[in-house]
This record gives sequence, structure tokens and C-alpha cells, in this order.
Amino acid sequence: MRAALSPLLILLAAGCDEVVVEVPFERGAQPVYTAEPPITRRLTYDQYVHTLDDLFGEGLVIPPSLEPDSRVSGLYAVGASVTSISALGVERYESAAFDVAEQVLADPERRLRLGTCSPAEGRDDACAEEWLGTIGPAAWRRPLTTEETERLVGIAGAAADTLGSFDDGFSYALAALLQSPWFLFRPEVGVVGDDGLLRYDAWELATRLSYFLWDGPPDAELRVAAADGTLLTDEVVAAQIDRMLADDRARRGLRAFVADMLHLAELDVLTKDPTIFVYMSEGLGASAREQTLLDAEALVFADDGDVRTLLTNTETHLDRTLAALYDVPAPAREGFGATTLGESGGRRGFLGQVSFLALQSHPTSTSVTLRGKFIREVLLCQNLPTPPAGLNTAIPEASEELPTMRERVARHLEDPSCAGCHQVMDPIGLGLENFDGLGRWRNEENDTPIDPTGDLDGDDFADAWALARAVAVHDDFGPCLNRTLFRYATGRAEADAEQPLVDWHADGLKEAEYRLQFLMRDIAAGPAFRLVGSVE
Amino acid sequence: MSPFRTSSPRGVGPRSPKRSDGRGAAPSRRGFLRGVLQGSAIFVGLPMLEAMLNGNGTALACGGAIPKRFGLFFWGNGNVPSRWVPATDGADYTLSEQLAPLLAMQHKLAVVSGLSVKVPNLLPHTSGAGGLLSGMAPLSSDGNETFAGPTIDQVIAAEVGGDSLYPSIQTAASDSNGQSYNGPNSQNPPETDPYTLYERLFGASFREPGEEALVDPTLGLRRSVLDSVSTDILTLQARLGAADRARLDQHLTGVRDLETRLARLEEDPPSLEACSRPATEPLAEYPDVAGRPQITARSRVMIDMLAMAFACDQTRVFGHYICDPVSNNLFPGTSSGHHNLTHDEGGDQPEVNAITIQIVTELAYLLERFDAVAEADGTLLDNCCILGCSEVSLGQTHSLDDMPIVLAGGLCGTLRTGLHYRSYTGDNASSLMLSILRGMDILAPSFGSDDAYTEAGLSGIEV
Repeated sequence: MRAALSPLLILLAAGCDEVVVEVPFERGAQPVYTAEPPITRRLTYDQYVHTLDDLFGEGLVIPPSLEPDSRVSGLYAVGASVTSISALGVERYESAAFDVAEQVLADPERRLRLGTCSPAEGRDDACAEEWLGTIGPAAWRRPLTTEETERLVGIAGAAADTLGSFDDGFSYALAALLQSPWFLFRPEVGVVGDDGLLRYDAWELATRLSYFLWDGPPDAELRVAAADGTLLTDEVVAAQIDRMLADDRARRGLRAFVADMLHLAELDVLTKDPTIFVYMSEGLGASAREQTLLDAEALVFADDGDVRTLLTNTETHLDRTLAALYDVPAPAREGFGATTLGESGGRRGFLGQVSFLALQSHPTSTSVTLRGKFIREVLLCQNLPTPPAGLNTAIPEASEELPTMRERVARHLEDPSCAGCHQVMDPIGLGLENFDGLGRWRNEENDTPIDPTGDLDGDDFADAWALARAVAVHDDFGPCLNRTLFRYATGRAEADAEQPLVDWHADGLKEAEYRLQFLMRDIAAGPAFRLVGSVE
Repeated sequence: MSPFRTSSPRGVGPRSPKRSDGRGAAPSRRGFLRGVLQGSAIFVGLPMLEAMLNGNGTALACGGAIPKRFGLFFWGNGNVPSRWVPATDGADYTLSEQLAPLLAMQHKLAVVSGLSVKVPNLLPHTSGAGGLLSGMAPLSSDGNETFAGPTIDQVIAAEVGGDSLYPSIQTAASDSNGQSYNGPNSQNPPETDPYTLYERLFGASFREPGEEALVDPTLGLRRSVLDSVSTDILTLQARLGAADRARLDQHLTGVRDLETRLARLEEDPPSLEACSRPATEPLAEYPDVAGRPQITARSRVMIDMLAMAFACDQTRVFGHYICDPVSNNLFPGTSSGHHNLTHDEGGDQPEVNAITIQIVTELAYLLERFDAVAEADGTLLDNCCILGCSEVSLGQTHSLDDMPIVLAGGLCGTLRTGLHYRSYTGDNASSLMLSILRGMDILAPSFGSDDAYTEAGLSGIEV
């Protein structure tokens, strides 16, 4: 696959249009690609909020619960392809739609985003139509048909007649837009291009790009490129990707991906016994998430650096809550500040952060199994079998003979019925036992020094830092990150036939020295993102 | 277009009763009204209806104007079987340590022990939950676990739910996804916030019996919006593949349910003697206390609302979840998370035992609360079937044998109470579900599939 090719400018012709991607290194030919059928994704809760932020301006009051998101193939982004809207969800979306409509119409600045004409006091079909011509395509990510516009103008007009006010009437048309499946879902069907191949149409592609790179809707410029169809050309799509990555909203997009991959939403419901963990506080979960996300933003956008550094670096961002827990000086009086952790300490990178250490622990203790499992499954994409039923899973209490977790879980590793799985999880977790169930450093457990040594697939480690380095340089780490981003971008687990393409993207990431921006661009411009199979 | 439609072009309106009722029950309240008046826009006052149906109260018996209702009381992570199963069976038995909180209600419930969930136990906790409640082995692909078919509450709701305001109500006393499915990947999430639940059930649109129907021009306008949404769903469905069409079917069902509900708000509230607003409004928030969620307080205020939701005929089916399978709540007085304890605690698991007793105490609260509501010539509880269960027995081994089950209320005398029924042959738990369906007058030929399939009810608990 790594055949000699003209360097730097490579023509990728693989059963699709000629996608010209400039890469700063020699690269093998893109494998032949067979497109997968389209899927329709439901907006996640965050995407729903981001969409309204972008349509009407930030700061709207939106209910804290809508339809719950569900994690599939490791990601909410994939769950969005199988979840629907329940009866309760319908109620919640209805209520949220009217709440939002009311807020938008009551605020002169937000109201301006609906359109420019000044409506009559009561029913005004012409102005309603103008407003729908502006907000309709932005909300539905496609132009409205004449029938749809007439229907919505009718709803606004009838409501204005009844309620005696144009604004009150239009709120019903707005609520209809916001409850529609065209708003709540991202339907994809595809269109046959000039070359006879089925591809996402320009609006679908604009929507794919914006939710992938921004976790939000297409902006005005993307909508123009969708409306005139130019987005389907290689030059325009490449230019749009560059523009989008340079936009601040790409930070929002990166945060969404990192939070999804690393399960950071679960920090909202971090359960810890405060009588055991004195550094537990109500806002700790949110602080921990922000630390991880700020580190990722800085590495990916400020530095465009090697993403593996996130596992090993001493540079990070802390607020006072985290600084106290980590026992280091707070870099800022309020909010977060950038800081560098001391070289002598054992805390480095993501595996030394509360967002991993506390989340992958129990409410009153650490869990060597959960921590090891997370590293295997989430960071290395290695499959572990589910535990068999019928096992006695009790582990002995701590005692004089069994002072630390290493002695207590020894049973998992000696009993053959447990060892099969636990020997690939627990020894990794034991390397992190210097961090308690919340993430605070400790040298001893029950007055006994903690032994953090072990090995990861043949790579010996002496402590948590060395373990983090072993994960970062593990052969599976880059391909795993790539696979996760591919799934995140496409909303589904890769098909078997796509594996060569996924591998090709992984090779690209490696050649590009693990710069995530490269991979985002590579996937967004690649065939799986732009070509689609027939509806099944 | 008129904002005040009385019927939608797509036939969205009150659903006709689907009950396949072999017992000659009276037609449903609303179906009856419509039948009598043949679609006239004038709605008859409820006293007249009562006069027609009710001479001295006995005509209001179960299955007639007083509907049969079903409630699921579920908790995750199982029990400690050695401290759950009563020592003797039959009518004359003594409640066990874990069941002791049910003493006051012992005559109105059956403890059912010894049943097995027959699906292969491949997915810890999920096999038990899906196997018990849907009778089918759950599906799993690439980390996505989902039930393969509808759960018992939704099977019932599909038959009896159309006559009430909500087909079913789902509530949870802790952070929970619930255990209610319409089919694969089609879950009915519970309401976890008591105040939001109150707003939905007893908020501005609620009318007590005798009060005037809601007069609100926005109800019609909201329905016209929902009608537009339905049109969008149908247009979109035509363009999509089979799997996505099925997902939008669920969306459409929800939209039509809401449309129907809004239409019914314009009718006079049913004249039901026991119906009133719950005496206590829930608090705005139930913050954790010392890191421990207020499960008891939340559960009880929700149960107060569910009792009135039944008494006011807002719904005829509920699912109430204390906690989910695998949930790791810190219960008061315990040293670790619930799920951790079930696996890590040795011996006869004193802490798991204490948690189980606390959960059974909440079940007892539910039964006593429902039994305190007088209805017809008995109590609300008498006209219900309340199924209390978990997805495993011993959590430590994810055992699907000797499942913990309490069946309460008797369902208008169709299910036996006042006994400990024990199966000594590991009978199929699906047979219990089939008995419940039949008690609800739903003519189901079978329940479950494959190893969990049955055509036979559990005769030992049927009257």
C-alpha cells in the first residue's frame, strides 16, 4: 500500500472524484473505497444547544434534559445513529421549542436574526414568509419547499389571528421548525453526481462538515457554498475545511470529540463519598473536565503538536479546586490558568488527571480493573470480553497480610476463571495506585508503600509516568485514536470493507507526526466522508 | 386554516380502545362517550355518565368504569437470596428478613420465588433485565446493548394505555435510564426530577374532577404545530431506509400521543372520586446529602404522584425505578457503591442486605400509599397489579435463578394474594408475565421467545 508516488501532491483516485490532498510527506495510494449506506443522526443534547447558540446567539435557557443520548461503539456520536425520540422526548422538545421561540422573539437582537422586514402588528404573511426564508434553511440545513413555507406561514398567520400579535403568531412557526425531524435529525440520502457516483449532496456535506468540525450547524458561508453547489468541488471543500479549522468553533468541535471519546460527560454525576475524599466538592467534576479539554485545545490548536503528548506532558491548566487536590500552587486566582507541573512529581498527562482517575474508580476506592479496562478499551481499542455470569467476584478486605490493592486483587490474577480477563486489566491499574479514588497522590496505602511497577504488553514500567509513556508509544494508540475519530466523523462503526481506508488514515496520522488537525482534515476530505451508498 | 381543529386530516384523535377484553367489560370512558354521542362536538357532563354506569358503586367494579392498572417497581443489582426467600410457602408463612417491611401489606401481595429467567446469561445484568421484562435475550453489538422486544409495561400500555392521558408514565428515584422498551433501541426514559414530573401531571393544565375543562386557544395552535411535525416525519420517512423509518415511527407515535393528549385537555376532567392534586408538592431540588442521593425522599414523592395519576386516570401503566442495574449509588449508611458491594462484599452481605431492605421499604410505601386511596368498593391497590422485581437474584454472580419477585394488588381479584408461591422446579419467569397479561384481560397467546417462551401462565398465582 505504500507504493512510490509523486511526493507532496498526491492525486487520490479511488473510485471517487479526484480528491487532491496536499500532504507534507510521501503517502501510499488511497485504497479503493466502497461507500456505505446513509444514516440519519439525531442531534445530541450538546449539538441541540450548539445549534440554537449559532442560530439565535448564545445564552438561551434550554431545559437540562431532552432525549437522553446513548453510547454505542464507544461514542454518543454513534449512538445518535440508532436512538430515536420517545414520547417523553417529544414532550420535552415541544416545551423547549416554545421556550426558545419565546426567548428569541422577546429579545430585539435575537429577533433580528429571523429576518429584516418589520412585520405588521397582527397577521403579516409576507413578512412571515421572509423570515422563514432566512431562518428556515438555517434551521433545517436545506431550503424549504414552497409547500413547507406555505404551511408554516399558515401556522404563523392562524396563530397571529388568534393571539392578536405577529410575534406571538410567529413563535408557533418557529416552534414547528424546531420540533421537526428536519431540525432534530440530520437526514442523509445522497445524490448522484456528474460522474454517476452517489455522494452526499451539498447541504448534507455542509452539515456533515459542520457537526464534525464544529459540533454545530453550517454557518452562512457554508450555506452559500451548499446552496450554489460549489461545496461539492475539491477546491472549495478543502478551503472550507481550512477555514473551519481556523475558526473558534473548531475548538468547540474538538472539545465535543475529546469529551465523547474520554466519557467526560459522566463527570456530571461523579459519585464520591465526601467523608473519605475530603477534596471532593460539587464542582470538581466540571473542573476536571475543563482541565482535560483546555489541555487538548492548547495542544491541538495553539501548538498543532503531537497528540500523544497529552498523555505525558507536564504542561496543563488548573483552577484552584484542582490545584489544591494536586497539591500544587494555583496558577490563577479565578478560573483556569496555564501551569507546568514539577518534574519531580509523579503526575503527568491525562492519566494523572481527575477526569480519568476519579471517573475510572469506585465511589469509595480506586479500581485497578476500571482504570486498566479504560486504557485497553478506550485508549488502545482492544476488545475485552464481558465477564462471564456465575463467578464469585468478591475480593478480600484489606488486612495486615493484604495491605494494598496489589495483594488484594492477587486472587483475580491467580484464579484461572478470573485471570483470563483481569490479567490484562488489573496490572495496568496497579501502576496507577499512587493516585487514590479521586486522583490525589499517595505513597502508601494502609501504611505500606505502594508498588506501582508492571508491564504493558511487554513494555516494563516503573511507575505511573512510565506507564503513561508506554501507552503513548503503544502501537495501538495512534490507530485507536484514528478509529475513534473516524467513527465520530461518520456516526458509525467502520464496516469491514472500510478497514483498508481506516488503516490508510491511521498511516497518515503517523506520518503527520500525530497531529490531530491533519487527521481531522484527512477524514473530512476523504471518501468515507463524501461518498455514500444506496439507501437500504 | 383554522387553529381550532377538532380532528386532524391524518386521523389523529383519541385512539379506539384496543383491549381484547374477554370479560364483557364496559367500554372505555372516552370510547363510550364518543359512541353515545356519535362524534357530536358537545360533551356530556360527567354526572350523567356516572348515573348510567353506577347505581350503588358496585357497577364501578374492576375492569368496568374502574380500569385495571399495572405498575412496575424495579430496582437494580438484586437481593441476597438466603435472606429473602421465606422459610415456608403457601398461605401461612412468615416474611423473611428482607421482606419484613411488607408486613402490613402481606395479605395484599404474593411473594413469588423460585422462578428463573430462561434466556442465556451472556450479558451481566442486561440478560436478566431483558430476559425478565421482555422475555427475550437482549441484543448486543459492539458495546450497544438493547432489549430485543417490548417490555411488559409497554405490552400492557399498547393495549390499555390509549384510553388515558398518557400511555404510560416512567419515573426514577435516582439517576436512571429505566427498563422500558418499545423495541430494540427504542427506550422510554424515566422522569428523574420530581418537580418536573409534578408540572407534567399536575401543573397548569391539570383539572380536578368537577372543575371546568381547560379553555385555552393555544391548545389548538399547538396541535396544528404537531400536525405539521407529523407531516414532516411522513415526508422524511419516505426517503429513508428501513431502520431509520422505524426510528421515525417512534417519533411519530410520540407526536400523535401528544396531539391526542392536548385534545383531551379540552374535555371535562373525568369524575373520579379518589382523584385530587397530590397533597404535597415536590421540592425544587433534592440535593445529595453527604454524597448520598435522596432516593427515599424522591421515590416517595413520586409514588404520591403516581397514586393520583392512577386515581385521576392520567395513566394506567407506570414503571418506577429505584435504581438501575449496575448502578453504584451510595445508599445511606453504606461503605461503598451499591454495585461494588454486591460484588465485593463477602459472607451473607450485610450491607447489600441493608440496601435491599431499604428498597423493599420503598415498595411497602408504594403499596400502603395505593391502599390508602379508596376506589369503588375497595382500594386503588386492589384494582392494580404491582410487580416488584430486580434483574438478578444474587448480584455477585448475576444469578438468574430464584428471582426476587413480589406481586401485589390482586388486580381486581384475578391474581392471588396472601401467599408465598414457590416454584421448586425453576419455572419460567415468562409464565408470570403471561398471567399478568391475562389478568389485565389482554388475550396474549404467549410471552417471550426461544428458551424463555411460554404459552402457560403461572397457575399457582392465578385465581
